[in-house]
Amino acid sequence: MNTRKLLTQLSEIEDGLDQFSFAELSASEASDLKKSFETFKNGLENKVFGENKTETVIVDPNKPPKKVKAATESSLIANVSHEIRTPLNGIVGFIDLLKETKLTKKQQELINALGLASNNLLTIINELLDYSKLSAGKENFASIEFNLKNLLNELSYLSQTLIVNKKIKFNLDIDRNVPEVIIGDPSKLSQVLLNLLGNAIKFVEKGAIDFNICLISSNEHEIRLGFEISDTGIGIAKENLKKIFESYQQAELDTHQKYGGSGLGLSIVKEIVEQHKGTIAVSSLVGVGTTFKMEIPYQKAAQKSVGLKKSKESSLKSGKPLEGMTIIVFEDNLLNQKLITSRLENWGCKTVVTDNGLYGLKILNNHKVDVVLMDLRMPGMSGFDITKAIRNNTKKDIKNIPIIALSADFSKSDKEQFELLGINDFILKPFRPDNLLEKIINSKNKKMTERETKIEIMEPMNKTDLPTQELNLDAVLEDCMGQITLLNELVVLFKRNIIEFIGKTKIHLLNDDFDGVGFTSHKIKSGLRMLKLNGLVEICDQMSLVCKSNRDIKHLNFLYEEFLKEYEHIEPLIELEIERIKSK
Amino acid sequence: MKKQILLAEDDAMLASLLNYRLEKGGYEVVLKNDGKEVKEWLNQSLPDIIVSDIMMPYFSGIELVDYIRNDLKSTVPIILISSASNEENVLSAFEMGANDFISKPVSPSELLVRVSREISRVN
Repeated sequence: MNTRKLLTQLSEIEDGLDQFSFAELSASEASDLKKSFETFKNGLENKVFGENKTETVIVDPNKPPKKVKAATESSLIANVSHEIRTPLNGIVGFIDLLKETKLTKKQQELINALGLASNNLLTIINELLDYSKLSAGKENFASIEFNLKNLLNELSYLSQTLIVNKKIKFNLDIDRNVPEVIIGDPSKLSQVLLNLLGNAIKFVEKGAIDFNICLISSNEHEIRLGFEISDTGIGIAKENLKKIFESYQQAELDTHQKYGGSGLGLSIVKEIVEQHKGTIAVSSLVGVGTTFKMEIPYQKAAQKSVGLKKSKESSLKSGKPLEGMTIIVFEDNLLNQKLITSRLENWGCKTVVTDNGLYGLKILNNHKVDVVLMDLRMPGMSGFDITKAIRNNTKKDIKNIPIIALSADFSKSDKEQFELLGINDFILKPFRPDNLLEKIINSKNKKMTERETKIEIMEPMNKTDLPTQELNLDAVLEDCMGQITLLNELVVLFKRNIIEFIGKTKIHLLNDDFDGVGFTSHKIKSGLRMLKLNGLVEICDQMSLVCKSNRDIKHLNFLYEEFLKEYEHIEPLIELEIERIKSK
Repeated sequence: MKKQILLAEDDAMLASLLNYRLEKGGYEVVLKNDGKEVKEWLNQSLPDIIVSDIMMPYFSGIELVDYIRNDLKSTVPIILISSASNEENVLSAFEMGANDFISKPVSPSELLVRVSREISRVN
C-alpha cells in the first residue's frame, strides 16, 4: 500500500517531467535534472522490489510471520525514505532553479505542477520516516522539564490563528489541578496535539473546537494527564472509526481528494501516545462531530520554581557527542550542505550552513560559535577570504575560533597558505563521518585548554555586541500628519502583525512549509520597513531567500529564533519612542 | 463629488495608514483585505481608481490587473504596490495594463500624488 502510494506520486512527477519542455534549458541543466530523477527512481525501485524478494527467504518458521514482516517493513521504509529524500531534495532544488529562468506561461504551469507533486512526495516521505522510526522503536523521547501551560497556550494560540477565516469558536480549558511544569518530551506532545488540533481545524467548517486538559491521577512521582479535543466537524462513520489509527487510512476514499494528507498523521499520533504508555480513543457521530480522548503519564517536576526555561537535555546520552555546540559551515554545494547538516544534526549540535561569506561573518559576530567548517572554493568570497576576515577580527573569541577546511583537493601551496592564514585543520572530501567528528572534537578540546590557560587575559563577555537598534518614529509620525492616535494605532497593528507572524511562521516551520514561511516573512516586511527596523527586515530577507534557495529548515529555524531575540530587544524601544513622541 | 478609491491591501498596518491619508486627501476609500473581496466588489461596481498590493491572498495584484482589463474590459486606472522582491512582476503587470506602481515602503504623500495624477489623466 505504502509503496504503491509512493510509486503513484512518482509517476505523477514523471508525467510532469515528460510534458516539460527542455528546450529552454542548457544541456547540463537538463541532464542534471534527468539524472537526479533517474537515480532517485532506480534507487526506489531497487529498494522496494529487491527487499521484497529477500523477505520470503528470511521468514523464520518459529517466529510469528506477521511481526517479522512488520519489522522488515519499517526498517525498509526507514532506509528507503532516507535514500529518497536526498535526491528528492535535489529535484525540488532544481525545480526552484528552473522557476527562476525565463519560462512561458505553459511551462510555468507545468513546473508548478511538478513542484507541487514533488513537495507532496517529500511530505509523505518525511511522515513515513517519522512513522517508521517510531514503529521500529528507534525514536528516543526526551525527558526534560517543561512548562506545560505555556505549551498549551501556545498551541491554542496557533490554532486560533488558523481559524480566523472560519466561523469557529476555539475554547481552551485547563483544569486548575494541572501542574504548570512537568517532565517529559514537549516536542512530541506538541506534535501529537498539533496533529489532533490540525485535524479538527481541517474538518470543521463552523461551530466549535473544545480543547480540555485535566488531571486524571497523581502519585508521588507520576501524574496522568487527560487531553480531550472535540469538534463539531463532519464526523466519521462508525464502520470507519476503527480504521482511522491504521497507517495509510483515511476514513473515506474521497477524503484524500478533498482534504489531502498522507494518511499517516493519526498512526504517528497513536505510536507516540502508546510509546509514552498512554492511551488514545476516538468517538464520533457523522454530521455531529468527533472527540479524541488521550491520556498520557508524565513525571512530576521536582520543584515548580525553575521550570520556566527548558533545561538542557542530558548530553551524556550516547549518539549526541556534539550536543550544545554551535557549528557554522561555509559550503556552496547544495548536496554537500544537506549531507553535512544531517550529519552534524545527528551529532546533536546546532548548525548554520551558508554559502554567503558576509552573512556567515555576521552570525559569527553576534553568536557564540564553537567551530567553523570551511569549504575553500566558493564563488564570491572564498574560504581563504573568509578565514582572513575571521583572523583579523578584533574580538578574541572570534579571532581564535577553530577553523577546519574542507576541500576535494589540497595542493602543496594550499597547505602553506593554511599555516599562514591560521587554518587549524583540514579534511579531504569525501570524508568519513567519524573522521570529521574526531577533528571537530579535537579542535574543540584544543580551544578549551587554550581558554583555560589564557583565562586571566580574557576580556569579559561583551553583552552589548548586538547592534543596538536606533529607533526613531518621527518620519512615521510625519506620514501620519502628526496624529499621535494614528501612530498609536499603527503600533498596535504592528504588534498584532508581529504576533501573527510569530505564530504562523512557527506552524509553517513545524510543517516544513517553505512556501508558507516565504509568504509570512515577506508579508511582515512591509510593517518592519515602515518603522525602519532594518535589522529585522534583513532577517526576513534572509528567510525569504532560504525559502527560495536551499530550503534548509535548520537555517530557517535559526533565523526565526534570531528574529525573536532581536524583536524582544526592540519591543521596549518602541514603547520608549512612543513615550518620547507623546511628551514632545 | 468625491472620487472613490478601491484600496486592496492585506497588511492591516499599511492599509490603516493609507486609508487615513487617502481619506484626508479627499477621497472616498473602499478598503478590501484580499483578492477575493476585491473581485466580489468589482462585480458590483467600479471605483474611480484602484490601488492594490501585488502580493495578496487568493488573488494577486497581477491577476487582478488581468481580470480587470481582460474579463471586465475596464480601463479604470490601477496603481500597484510592490516590494523589492517582486519587481520583475511589475513588468508583467505593466504589460497587462497596470498604470503605475509604487514600491514599499510606501510614502503616503507620494501615493497621493500618483493617485491624483492618474485621476486627472482620465478626466
